[in-house]
Amino acid sequence: MLLEFVNVAKVYKGGLRGVDGVTLRLGAGLVGLLGPNGAGKSSLMRIGATVTRPTSGQVLLDGTDVVARPDLLRRNLGYLPQDFGVYPHLTAREFLAYLAAVKGMPARVARRRIGELLELLELTGAGKRPLGKYSGGMLRRVGIAQALLADPRVLIVDEPTAGLDPQQRVLLRNLLADLSGDRVVLLSTHIVSDVESVASDIVIMAGGRLLLRGSPQDLLRQAEGQVWETTVPPADLARIRDRHLVSKMVRTDAGVRVRLLAPAPPAPDAVPAAPDLEDAYLTIIHAAPGTLGGASPGGASPGGTAPGGTAREARR
Amino acid sequence: MRTRVLGALAVADFLERTRRPAYLVTLAGAVVLGYLALPPASSRWVIMNAGGYRGVYTSAWAGTVTALAGALWLMGAGFYVVRSAIERDRQTGVGQVLAATPLRNAGYLAGKFLSNLMVLASMAAVLAVTALAMQLARGESSSVGLGVLLLPYALFTLPVLVLTAAAAVLAETIPGLRGGLGNIGWLFVWMVFAISGGGVPLGFGLARASMRAAMTAQHLRPAEFSVGFTQVEHPLHAFAWAGLAPSGGFVAARLAVIAISIGLAVMPAAWFGRFDPARDRARGRVTRGEASAVDPVPQPSVNAALGHIELPHVHTHLQPAAVPGVAAPFADLAAGVMPAARAAAVYRPLPRTGAGPRLAFGRLLAGEVRILVQGTSRWWWLVAAAVDVAGLAVPAGLVKPAGAGTALLLSAAWVWPVLIWSRLGTQRRENGLDTLLGSYPGAYRQLAAEWAAGLALTALAGLGPLLRMALTADGPRVAAWLAGALFIPALALLLGTVTRTHRTFQALYVLLWYAAVNQVAAADYMGTVLAAGRPAGPPALSVAGAGAAMLAVTFAIRAARHAAR
Repeated sequence: MLLEFVNVAKVYKGGLRGVDGVTLRLGAGLVGLLGPNGAGKSSLMRIGATVTRPTSGQVLLDGTDVVARPDLLRRNLGYLPQDFGVYPHLTAREFLAYLAAVKGMPARVARRRIGELLELLELTGAGKRPLGKYSGGMLRRVGIAQALLADPRVLIVDEPTAGLDPQQRVLLRNLLADLSGDRVVLLSTHIVSDVESVASDIVIMAGGRLLLRGSPQDLLRQAEGQVWETTVPPADLARIRDRHLVSKMVRTDAGVRVRLLAPAPPAPDAVPAAPDLEDAYLTIIHAAPGTLGGASPGGASPGGTAPGGTAREARR
Repeated sequence: MRTRVLGALAVADFLERTRRPAYLVTLAGAVVLGYLALPPASSRWVIMNAGGYRGVYTSAWAGTVTALAGALWLMGAGFYVVRSAIERDRQTGVGQVLAATPLRNAGYLAGKFLSNLMVLASMAAVLAVTALAMQLARGESSSVGLGVLLLPYALFTLPVLVLTAAAAVLAETIPGLRGGLGNIGWLFVWMVFAISGGGVPLGFGLARASMRAAMTAQHLRPAEFSVGFTQVEHPLHAFAWAGLAPSGGFVAARLAVIAISIGLAVMPAAWFGRFDPARDRARGRVTRGEASAVDPVPQPSVNAALGHIELPHVHTHLQPAAVPGVAAPFADLAAGVMPAARAAAVYRPLPRTGAGPRLAFGRLLAGEVRILVQGTSRWWWLVAAAVDVAGLAVPAGLVKPAGAGTALLLSAAWVWPVLIWSRLGTQRRENGLDTLLGSYPGAYRQLAAEWAAGLALTALAGLGPLLRMALTADGPRVAAWLAGALFIPALALLLGTVTRTHRTFQALYVLLWYAAVNQVAAADYMGTVLAAGRPAGPPALSVAGAGAAMLAVTFAIRAARHAAR
């Protein structure tokens, strides 16, 4: 299957452009969609999931316009929104059975499928408990189960790892990588590590626009020669953060060991470091005009870090 | 400091509420009420009928009539406008944030009470301005007296607003009254005051006595007074009225109402649970997002020194992939070296049969029924069953005239599920499923199934009386029953879809039901108002047609929203 966004834009009330002329072609495989908060990722995901209608542009599934005929995509779609609710007095089995009926799945297939998915997502033991008594991570797994109910050809998952523990995050990432063999999988997140281990194709968005699309290697090339490590006295930290984008910072007995992005050595004792995907991501976001990252050297980073903060701090 | 915190809390809540489009609708309602309260001299539709008379449209009359009508209106509708202040904090999670601050229960509740009062007072203020504008527009008196115009607001409206604001806080802090039961309970309280002409909290007696004295002095003989939108046979005659002259005792009584109301508002500080989900659970209430059960999945422990994740001991049951090309997701972990997640079941793709989706309407309907009645206690079902059995078994001659017993039981059967019907059209939104279900196919099928679930519940609730009527071959009443069964869920679904709240249906339906039970034939949608043993209300076909029309409007609204998504 081929899912295409053709010059898609979404303008909200008040003129805010959530998505601004995005063109994206998605075939079988996993595409990781990265971007800071407010980049337009969720808006694009909702448009792709037919929940939101674009203000202009087209969304095509194998060449057919699914803005006009959304059910065509909906029959082949699994969608996990960033935020979703459940009917709190229904059990997971009842809830999934209801959604299977909405999808038009045959009863016997649905029953077997629900059992398999509950087992896959380690919810079998809790399958008969009301959803109102589930933890956040368990509800997220129910959300994943509903997205996989009809074995969709297109899978759109928005921040799927939110609320999951490390073990479940690995489980989900591997599952998505596995599914992407013959499906369109679009994974949106602002956590770089969620995509770096599974996505061979990464798209970076900011300000409603696509900044870059490429392989992890393509992204890493953007940061080559720009990543440095140095140890500074704690008193100099504020100055360093004012002048450079600090991506990591560890306090040691010798001072503060910082990893930062700069086009030239920031200090005489600074040593070049091999960039990782997070460095590359920060470099791209930082360089993008009109983004928070581009506004101030020590400014925001993914995850909405406060000015002067670091990406690592934002994720903690 | 405390006053500042209280003010900040009340103002923030007030701003949150007044920036919603629904607030503008309530302000528009105030303007309309002001317009109707001072109708043209030739009008036969009036808000206040002083026994066949009305006052000359002076500031005193304009202020008094709008203040009385406003008190009555705001006591009823105003309660439903302001009653979700605490519930919103519960649902948004703001409540738990506030609960973790030094803010005391009494301070929090006082802030919510003040916010309620500010919302209601802003509506009353719009009404007062409209009253002044209408006085000048009618042109019977160009003399403006702000004091006499506002005095009735201070005497009648303000105490009622304080009482209503306090009742809303009180209802939200008593578990049994938080939901629809509180809504309906307040409706009955309001109806008692409205029908009894005000009573002590409203204090309408002062206005009546003052006007009656003025008319007596002018040798006029007024009949019964009434406040409420009514039609009169002839346009009302005007009389001169100078305005209110309250005694000290009356003012003291009004102040007492205010003081008692404030006490009612902060009284729940003694038991308010500060959004602690454990307390809710202890009372058997499950709120989405609050409950956090123990996750049965064994948790890994991170050994920082060794830099790896230790897994709890679990049995693995790796299976080969069901379909070539789709590997087990954890095959690489099965070796047991540094696994980051334990091995689990494999993902099995569904066989590609090429068959399209099925209609599956029966299972969809079953799901919608389950969703509609979720959380309903067994006591509810027992009462419903008892009413059904009574409707089937009631002796024919027990209540005169013939058929009245069945009609009475059908009335009972069709008011009992009012809280459940009121969920129609609102459940997706309030449970946060709009986005998720928006990506599912068959939006209209879902809507039809939701209505059908309401129909099933209506039919089940009224099954006993139906069987009784069918056994006696009472065709016209069976037809009326069928029309009512179509009508009720259609009304609930429409109101829930349009207003996205339970309250509209709860209030309107109970009023409609109350009118039907009180033998108002025009309001009889279920065939319980009988004349010579036959339904005296609108023809069954009309009621069913109204139901079908409402259903069509609901579909059109859903289509319009889908197009504008």
